Amino acid sequence: MTRQKVKLAFITNDSARKATYKKRKKGLMKKVNELSTLCGIDACAIIYSPYEAQPEIWPNNIGVQHVIARFKRIPEMERSKNMLNQESFIRKQVTKTNEQLKKQMKENREKEMTEVMYQCLTGKGSIENLTLPDLKDLGELVDQTLKDISRRIESLKIVSPNEAAAAAPPLPQAVVGGSSSSMVVDNVSGRDEMQRGTQTTQWFTDWMNNPSEQNLGLGPNRIWPHPFFPDC
Amino acid sequence: MHRPSKGRKKIEMKRINNMSSLLVAFSKSHSGLFKMASEMCTLCGVEMEIIVFSPTKTVFLFGHPSVQTIIDRYLKQNLPPNRYLKQNLPPSARTSQLEQRYCNTKTQELNLQLTNLLAQLEAEKKTSEELNMIRKARQESFWWDSPIENLGVEQLEKLKVMMLNLKNNSINQAEKIVMAEAANLTEVLCMCGSTWLGGIGPSV
Repeated sequence: MTRQKVKLAFITNDSARKATYKKRKKGLMKKVNELSTLCGIDACAIIYSPYEAQPEIWPNNIGVQHVIARFKRIPEMERSKNMLNQESFIRKQVTKTNEQLKKQMKENREKEMTEVMYQCLTGKGSIENLTLPDLKDLGELVDQTLKDISRRIESLKIVSPNEAAAAAPPLPQAVVGGSSSSMVVDNVSGRDEMQRGTQTTQWFTDWMNNPSEQNLGLGPNRIWPHPFFPDC
Repeated sequence: MHRPSKGRKKIEMKRINNMSSLLVAFSKSHSGLFKMASEMCTLCGVEMEIIVFSPTKTVFLFGHPSVQTIIDRYLKQNLPPNRYLKQNLPPSARTSQLEQRYCNTKTQELNLQLTNLLAQLEAEKKTSEELNMIRKARQESFWWDSPIENLGVEQLEKLKVMMLNLKNNSINQAEKIVMAEAANLTEVLCMCGSTWLGGIGPSV
């Protein structure tokens, strides 16, 4: 069956609409049948169309009446819990799709930031073109990676404290940050910050509130005295 | 269209044995069924109802224009024929009647919104795959790009130093930006100030 992208709107061409109706009705009835058989459940379908006086139904009149009767036995309060019309159904779809979209965007942002991080690390990219939100996200990622590295080092030391390190290939040049090499990641868009909530990197926030804070716990390559705060 | 996760396995047309598979199948299928119904209503302007009882005895209903109207209409069918004779309208009148019914702007809006969201989701998924490929290519080139699990202690220590450097530089860079923005803001405020005071010379 050819898969064409059909626009979700009323088909104004009469014959096209009729053809679509026939095809889809057949598919729908088949699907109700499958669902009922595979899951061993009661189901029914009633379709009113301009093409027939009588509605198209599944499974048959007796079956439909049985299902309706079963439905009517349910108390009023219970019934309306899962009753949907087109509007409420599509609304539900919109909500669900929105959530999926947000999740995917967040995931993509993390992946993108990982690439930025490695590019900056190897001097293929420069941090000079990053915006403040980007830098914040980068900072969080670097922190997380540092944690992972430390954890990994610890676990390796526990396993065999005397083990010589695996033969490492030649060290890269120390070309970290601030380089004039061509900007590879200039397509990092200034999107909204990742919604990290309580996971906001403490050192970054501390710094933002009090830039002259000295105890940021930086490594052996600290750059002091600070060019902007020479008195610190 | 490339759909990596949609495998079509031939399922035997009888009740699923495994209860958890059955529940999963139900949950996926019944919303798919409603989706088909909703699309049909939009595309073809028909009115319909689907009632489904879940394996856990919960009832799910989809009805257009509403659950109750379709049930009522169906049950009234058993009355004498002239009751539904007015449904046998001439084709042209029926079409415009349908279009009128369809002119439910809210549904139209929602459908449009849904279509847009689905397109965006599709684009993001594509981006995701592209990023995966970039990552894979990167990890095959340099040792420091490999996943952490593949590195030895010495390499990890070196990587740690590189990361700390980067952290440092990020802070400095962020600082620069904030300072620059603050300087700009001060300048703008000064200019506004002098204008507001009727141009009484530059302030500061």
